[in-house]
Amino acid sequence: MLNDQQPLATNRQLPATNMSLMAAQLYDSLLKIYRNYTVRVFLQAIITIWAVMTLTFVLVRLMPGNPVDVLVEQILTNEGISYQEAYERVAASFNIDSDATPLDQYFQWLGDLLRLDLGISITSPGTKVIDEIARFLPWTVFAVGSGLLISFVLGIFAGMPMAYYRGSKLDHILSFFSSFSTGVPNYIWGLLIIIVPGIAWRWFDIGALRGTYDAGLTPGLNAEFILSALEHAALPVFTYVIAILGTWMLSMKSSTTGVLNEDYVNVAEARGLKERTVISSYVGRNAALPLFTQLTISIGFVLSSGVVVEEIFVYWGIGHHLFQSITVRDYTSLQGVVLLLTAAIVFSNLFADLTYGLLDPRVRVSGEK
Amino acid sequence: MPEPIIELQGVYRDFKKGREVVPVLQDINFAINKLEFLCLVGESGCGKTTTGKIICGLLPPSSGTIHFEGQDIATLRGAEKRRHRRNVQIIHQDPYASLNPTQTVSEMLGYPLLAHRLVNGRRGTDSRVKELLDLVDLTPVEDFIDKYPHQLSGGQRQRVSIARALTTEPSVIVADESVSMVDVSIRIGLLQMMMDLRDRLNVTIVFITHDLALAKYFAWDGRIGVMYLGRLVEIGATQQIIAAPQHPYTKVLLSAIPEPDPQKTRSKQHIQLRSEDIPRLTELPPGCSFHPRCPWYVPGACDVAVPQLAQPAQSLVDTKVACVPLERGDKLVLHDS
Amino acid sequence: MSDLSPETVLRVDDLSIVYRTDRGDVRATNNVSFDLKRGEAMALIGESGSGKTTISLALIRKLPKNAVVTNGHILYQHKNKVQDVLGLSRRQLRGFRWNDCAMVFQGAQNAFNPVLKIRKQFEDTARAHGWTDKDAIRKRALSLLELVRLDPERVYESFPHELSGGMKQRTLLALGVLLNPQVVILDEPTTALDILTQRAIIDVLNDMQRQLLFSIIFISHDLSLAAEMADTVATVYAGEIVEIGGVDDIFYRSLHPYTYGLLTSVPTLDHAQDVLQSIPGSPPNLIAPPSGCKFHPRCSFASDQCQVEGPLLELGRETHLAACWHKDRLLASRKEVV
Ligand SMILES: Nc1ncnc2c1ncn2[C@@H]1O[C@H](COP(=O)(O)OP(=O)(O)OP(=O)(O)O)[C@@H](O)[C@H]1O
Ligand SMILES: Nc1ncnc2c1ncn2[C@@H]1O[C@H](COP(=O)(O)OP(=O)(O)OP(=O)(O)O)[C@@H](O)[C@H]1O
Ligand code: SF4
Ligand code: SF4
Ligand SMILES: [Mg+2]
Ligand SMILES: [Mg+2]
Repeated sequence: MLNDQQPLATNRQLPATNMSLMAAQLYDSLLKIYRNYTVRVFLQAIITIWAVMTLTFVLVRLMPGNPVDVLVEQILTNEGISYQEAYERVAASFNIDSDATPLDQYFQWLGDLLRLDLGISITSPGTKVIDEIARFLPWTVFAVGSGLLISFVLGIFAGMPMAYYRGSKLDHILSFFSSFSTGVPNYIWGLLIIIVPGIAWRWFDIGALRGTYDAGLTPGLNAEFILSALEHAALPVFTYVIAILGTWMLSMKSSTTGVLNEDYVNVAEARGLKERTVISSYVGRNAALPLFTQLTISIGFVLSSGVVVEEIFVYWGIGHHLFQSITVRDYTSLQGVVLLLTAAIVFSNLFADLTYGLLDPRVRVSGEK
Repeated sequence: MPEPIIELQGVYRDFKKGREVVPVLQDINFAINKLEFLCLVGESGCGKTTTGKIICGLLPPSSGTIHFEGQDIATLRGAEKRRHRRNVQIIHQDPYASLNPTQTVSEMLGYPLLAHRLVNGRRGTDSRVKELLDLVDLTPVEDFIDKYPHQLSGGQRQRVSIARALTTEPSVIVADESVSMVDVSIRIGLLQMMMDLRDRLNVTIVFITHDLALAKYFAWDGRIGVMYLGRLVEIGATQQIIAAPQHPYTKVLLSAIPEPDPQKTRSKQHIQLRSEDIPRLTELPPGCSFHPRCPWYVPGACDVAVPQLAQPAQSLVDTKVACVPLERGDKLVLHDS
Repeated sequence: MSDLSPETVLRVDDLSIVYRTDRGDVRATNNVSFDLKRGEAMALIGESGSGKTTISLALIRKLPKNAVVTNGHILYQHKNKVQDVLGLSRRQLRGFRWNDCAMVFQGAQNAFNPVLKIRKQFEDTARAHGWTDKDAIRKRALSLLELVRLDPERVYESFPHELSGGMKQRTLLALGVLLNPQVVILDEPTTALDILTQRAIIDVLNDMQRQLLFSIIFISHDLSLAAEMADTVATVYAGEIVEIGGVDDIFYRSLHPYTYGLLTSVPTLDHAQDVLQSIPGSPPNLIAPPSGCKFHPRCSFASDQCQVEGPLLELGRETHLAACWHKDRLLASRKEVV
């Protein structure tokens, strides 16, 4: 109170300090903006993304070999022409300015980025990075999204009985499965699925399931295409479900266990409420609340951790694309995909933060004040 | 002539809570006299514990000064500062007291003794530990010396924390009783022991509680200070405050408390508040903080001026109150709304 | 079995409960018997851990999973029909809870589901007991919220966290009597509330009981609260009722050394200095309680007999019962003091 009023009152009598007054006011209003929670977390998100991108920019250039070398190598082994010839051919076909220093490239790239321009692929000139992403991303979103949602719902329903019957046989079996599911990384699950039912038991033909839909079909809203897309997505989705389910089950179990000890559950039972009401509106609702936040956060992580799974199933999503870009050292495509994945992680966290209040009335109110 | 050992002058304390600044203590002025029994009472959140921590130098005030034996404690450095820390101890009276569960009683008492170099060698430590346990009536001492906290009852644990506070031979102890402390018979036993300590060890004890009846018992020959929303609203001799409370808040409080006597408590007159809502510290009403609830509220006066803690005009006793009409020497008139 | 007088709502008969634990059986309730009359307010007083909450939880069969009722009956009488509470089926029990017997738990600050509005929680309760008309529920709820001196409309549409501790406690009291129960159990209804809020709750409870005529069992470590609100007081020690009688009998003419010990350890606001005495020792271990009278290690009147044989709860004076071999010694010692 004192700090706010007294200095201002004295300043007004001295026109000479007008400038500093204005500066102070500007500083004040900037501070106010920064104090706004949403603005602040948003800024922090942007800075995080910038830092990750800069790091990626440096790291990709530290990788052994550059795009030209990689392709030259390939041509040399395949066609038997001279190195000079091969080099010129590749350099001509690539969209790369070999004279620019890395620093120039960095600022060029940063400038483009600010205009939301991700640049053009190095190895396939003429194709915009953004278009490539647009082509591959929907498949990943579809597979990862279904995997997440299915495992989430299953996890909630499996986690509650684990808490209700804690210490029972059911709990032991489900807990064992959950730890197993959580402990084994998703790509191992993927390999297991390919090797055991796929190769050993021949339940399905892995070769035929490459890609995101059967070759020769035109994407569109027709039954044949949709069925084919589902078929191709089934294994990656199943892998995601198996690999994430355990986490949801364990989270739901511990969350439910906590809620079961809450007074309000006890009181609800003492009120003679129907068991169904207690389980759904009193226990389930409160127990699932923190999991929704976790769900939003995990979107970003699953997007990026699906990279290897896509490669295993040769599912042509963003992960597969990332692998391709690494193999041919397509710096711009690589940077584009990493940017996307980073942004997905950062913004899903941000989103979780900002939306938690919508679900929990306790936060909703204090957020407004 | 009472000799002050600790003196608080114009003490304010704020806490930052998110974006808000919470004024937890405002303009606290009082002195603790050597060897007197002083009790601070008030409802939960009124700032009793914060005051206790400031007295002990565990928490600096946002502004204002604290003098210990005539020295401003903010100016103390090095050895003097450590001496002050040792001299003024706080005990949180919590049944789940902050005793280290992995230490035995003798370790708990022995370590601070050695750390402050208050004893010499093993034998010195042992005999001092026994002396301390004897002081807090944990006898026979041998039964307790090797026990861990979980092997002790709630009351015994509290005695151990008092013994621990005594290791540094303090001249002032602030005993902060938490609300969760329920068992009456344990509380009385502890209080009686602490009252004995004053005579045996020459230590001044400040007792913090929310229970006025307990305050009366402890400080019968001493003084009570009543706090409300971060301010001291009345302070004076206990017997005066109990028999003839002057501040409206104290009056209301005394009339509201049930008593352990069926006939007396059922025939007690309860003063009705104007409102039961307790203002938040961040949205304190202007003027006297009690005015939205006070039955003697004077419109146009109480909601304007912040009353200062002072002896009312023409008062015959030396109780100090912070109340606008009393400050002006007016009689309190029940407000009819 | 049903020699119940018509005014009796609840009879607890020789009830014993143990908690099974790794360290052994905790004998938390031992041969407890009492009758609760229509409109009566009974207080259970005693030290922490003496078993007050256990008794009350048994009344609505809400004991923790490791508790076992080893003996006794609980009978509930309403409209000349007697029900054996311990023998109710799951469905009957659900109907009995809250409709006949409501309980406000210890530490009720979290009694409300944080994500549902107060309105929804009133509605859930009423619907579970067969009310269908939302407007009727609303009307009843609002009138009760008014009875507990709250702003009914505002509170009804609030989320629990929007209410202060005292408001929540009062809302809970209103919810407690929503279905017009015959018995309301209150476990430490005012502990941890501000003094002035406590006063408001006590006044509200008195008003409610006067208007709605239910019976109350309330548990408190606060003897003053018992003095103010109870008609009957029962002292619980080590899982047993050691003394029970009218509030004046207990406070002015107590017959049991433990009750007397409690009374002499409570400070008052009298204008005279209190002479207080704490009860020596600490509460017994309920896994291996002392032999004979469980109070004997702490009792100044104990004799050899007390160490061997447990006294029974027996009539001392009219409706005043106490379990002590030496009631006369206590009386004699008090005469000396006076
Ligand atoms: N470290 C802190 N940060 C922020 N606020 C604090 C802090 N310590 C105390 N407060 C606030 O200061 C106020 C007074 O707290 P304090 O602990 O002094 O109260 P009290 O009178 O001791 O209450 P009680 O009887 O409940 O112990 C409360 O509103 C509390 O929330
Ligand atoms: N679930 C449990 N398992 C084992 N022992 C228990 C359990 N619940 C309570 N007890 C024990 O039973 C005894 C009686 O407990 P109860 O909660 O009934 O006491 P109380 O009189 O209500 O105490 P308070 O005043 O502290 O609430 C105590 O010794 C306690 O430790
Ligand atoms: S100043 Fe006014 S409002 Fe405050 S206590 Fe005194 S009479 Fe009441
Ligand atoms: S029976 Fe004996 S030990 Fe028990 S209370 Fe009576 S006198 Fe004391
Ligand atoms: Mg405190
Ligand atoms: Mg209890």
